[in-house]
Amino acid sequence: MQEKVSAGQLASIIILFQIGSSSLFLLASDAKHDAWISVLIAMLMGLVMLIFVTMPIQAKAPQASLIEILNRYFGKYLGFILGLSFVGYFIYKSVRNVREFGDLVILYMLPRSSLDVIMLVLMCVGAYAIFHGLEVFFRVGQLVLPWLLVIYIVLFVLLFASDLVDFKRLLPLLEEGWKPVWDAAIPEVISFPFGEMVVFLMFWKHLAPFDKFKKFSLISYTCSGLFIVLTNVLIITVLGDISGAYVVPFMFSTSLIQIGGFLERMDPFVSLLLFGGVFFKQATYYLAAVLAASELFKVKHRTMVIPVGVAIFIGARLFRSYIEQIRVGFDYNLKLHFPIFQIVLPIILVLLMIITHWIKRKRKKKEKEKEKDPVSNPPSNE
Amino acid sequence: MKPTQESVKPQPVPLSSRLEDNLARLQHSEQTRSDIVLRLIHDSITGSKEFALVYIEGLVDIASINESLVRPLMSAMSGFEESTEERFTEIRNCAAATGPSEIIEDIDALWQQIMQGNTVILAEGFNRAISAGTSGGEYRSLTEPTTQNVIRGPKEAFTENLRTNTSLISRRLKSPKLRVEDKVIGVQTQTNVSVVYLEGIAEASVVKEIHKRLDHIDIDAILESGYIEELIEDAALSPFPTIFNTERPDVATAGLLDGRVAIIVDGTPFVLLAPITFFSFFQSSEDYYQRFYIASFWRMLRFGAFFVSLLLPSLYIAITTYHPEMLPTTLLISLVAQREGVPFPALIEAFMMEITFEILREAGVRMPKAIGAAISIVGALVLGQAAVEAGLISAAMVIIVSFTAISNFVLPSTNLSVTVGLIRFLLMLLAGGLGLYGIMVGLMVLCIHLASLRSFGVPYLMPLAPLVWKNLKDVFIRLPLWKMRTRPAGVTGPNRIREGKDQKPAPPKVKSRKE
Repeated sequence: MQEKVSAGQLASIIILFQIGSSSLFLLASDAKHDAWISVLIAMLMGLVMLIFVTMPIQAKAPQASLIEILNRYFGKYLGFILGLSFVGYFIYKSVRNVREFGDLVILYMLPRSSLDVIMLVLMCVGAYAIFHGLEVFFRVGQLVLPWLLVIYIVLFVLLFASDLVDFKRLLPLLEEGWKPVWDAAIPEVISFPFGEMVVFLMFWKHLAPFDKFKKFSLISYTCSGLFIVLTNVLIITVLGDISGAYVVPFMFSTSLIQIGGFLERMDPFVSLLLFGGVFFKQATYYLAAVLAASELFKVKHRTMVIPVGVAIFIGARLFRSYIEQIRVGFDYNLKLHFPIFQIVLPIILVLLMIITHWIKRKRKKKEKEKEKDPVSNPPSNE
Repeated sequence: MKPTQESVKPQPVPLSSRLEDNLARLQHSEQTRSDIVLRLIHDSITGSKEFALVYIEGLVDIASINESLVRPLMSAMSGFEESTEERFTEIRNCAAATGPSEIIEDIDALWQQIMQGNTVILAEGFNRAISAGTSGGEYRSLTEPTTQNVIRGPKEAFTENLRTNTSLISRRLKSPKLRVEDKVIGVQTQTNVSVVYLEGIAEASVVKEIHKRLDHIDIDAILESGYIEELIEDAALSPFPTIFNTERPDVATAGLLDGRVAIIVDGTPFVLLAPITFFSFFQSSEDYYQRFYIASFWRMLRFGAFFVSLLLPSLYIAITTYHPEMLPTTLLISLVAQREGVPFPALIEAFMMEITFEILREAGVRMPKAIGAAISIVGALVLGQAAVEAGLISAAMVIIVSFTAISNFVLPSTNLSVTVGLIRFLLMLLAGGLGLYGIMVGLMVLCIHLASLRSFGVPYLMPLAPLVWKNLKDVFIRLPLWKMRTRPAGVTGPNRIREGKDQKPAPPKVKSRKE
């Protein structure tokens, strides 16, 4: 029996996945107080990618997962290798989230705890969710999303109420012209978080009714994208140009909240958001890796939960420090590695699909014409 | 599935046409069971034995046997030739006067009949016997419910008698669609179980599934509906109940009208309802008898209390141990001052107090009523005040534990509060080990677990995950009755509409008095 998810559940996971932890950080911090423009540009570019590359792949091969599509269009061997590389990509993405989360928890919540324990616990929760399967995981997303949004909204209201927001900090717009803004947006912010919708090629086929996937994906992507822009604007309006100096600027800006001498130090709530966001992002990649691996090796998904989980955990331990993790991430992965999986391969795939479909249609037309010619029917209008 | 014990059983022994032989068999068992009564009726002329009545004392209504069975039999006896078909029919008619009657052809069926409280009539010259419905005897009468109390609402509760219980439901629900289907479960106890539902309103597949699972039960005894619950529930290993139980006929009736199926077990006032969702445990029948603002307020109060009883001790542990900076400064100072002399870490302190409370609660339930007053003195004075004064426990911890305990019993149904109590301990351990992070992890695992549960095909977190907007009218708030047009989606069968349109009451519009 194939597991089914509803449109609302898909939308909640897309929003949770997109927001993830990215709204807590200042993306494109190289663009200083114009960072939000970079984010907006990147978000629009991501939208273009989604409309013209990622979704057409699924639309041309409905009811098929990424692994099946690769297998169909690249052949048995190349398809397998590409599939395996995507499993690796999903695992690595999960690794980054787990490691980042572990470091941040140590930094902000439990300074004297062991990194291994924190990451292991997170992996166990993830494995427990994945073990129950896609349907349960998506249902949990639907259950948790409203709570996270409520916390965000409360924090926004409190930021405004304690008079921290100053929109003048956004000015002057485009102080140094478009170049730094553009440079910051591409390719970093496209890679993270807006190009990551590729992973949903593993999930879209489970949507029932399937034909709604475009509408709901677009709406939820756009909402979450605008939400990230909004949080970036807020971070800048509270902290100004110095916001790039903080590891989690959103955490710092909320720690400034002070109302009536009672409501203060709200940062533990931010760590709640951090946990919620990172958990879903990590687990979505984990689930994608498990599903992809189980399709590649033709086993039940439950048998892959532990091997993939162990791989993620070991991967997360390999970084020697937070600094190394950040450096590898921003200097190599975002610029070199991720674009391969998020942009280059999908574009090649969609071109290949268009060409094959075109050839097939031509062949069909020819056959039709051949059939029709002997009877010499008038050519029918298409 | 056939019970395994039955397949080993020998072939049923047919009744003999000689009364002497049948009596001889029964007399043997009469010696081993003192409550079996054998009454012989002799022919007044020949002195030979003509009839025998067999029943179990206490299970039968003696007055009805004497008045409606023995007397007519005696007068009918002389009118007919021996062992003719007319005579047999006449006996049947006599038996029919007391209640439903059946013809019995073997010893096993005879046993079954007398165990049900029926009287079996054996007659000379027939290899068949007749059972007469005479069941009766002593039962507890209708009383007020002891577990699910309300201020406004019906005051009667189910009893131990299956037929009384079905009658309590059918008195409230006179619909011809009401179905009552009987089963006998338990090889030794032969317990009667009724499956009650409304045809068209209950989902047919759910009814079928319940029948299937009940038929699958192969056990020697069913002593309470808890046995059935444990043998047919979906998530056998989950701490959360996926079947509701109630003592109140109005709750059961409302459940039937929502498309649920009731399982009534003889010998217990607790009736099972399935399928249910997690949120059924937050609904009290009184929510629908009081004004909807009040009911909605109660609902939210219950959800609040649920989270308090789940999280308060673990939050206290996490915050005082790992994140003291979260507290406002003055509160923090007073807390630290209180904890200064306490020799234990917060986790141990909380554990000690929580376990103490659980012991008190357990003792309060089991203890003979006469000792009741003593326990409140011990509990309140010795364990509370004295422990604080002795410096063993901080005063804040006593407040936390008492508030948690009271919140725990705000939930209208006790079986969820017991589950919450268990999970609270796990969360306390996690909070002691990993602080707020541990609590988040625990809550996430809880969410995943709840999302994975189903009750007879209905997702446990139904109106929230999967989200069903229409069903949210009766979860966190209760909308006015005239707004609840449809029965809960996902639970109910084809008949979905509860009430007509325009049910909102309004005074008639007064015409303007210009003329």
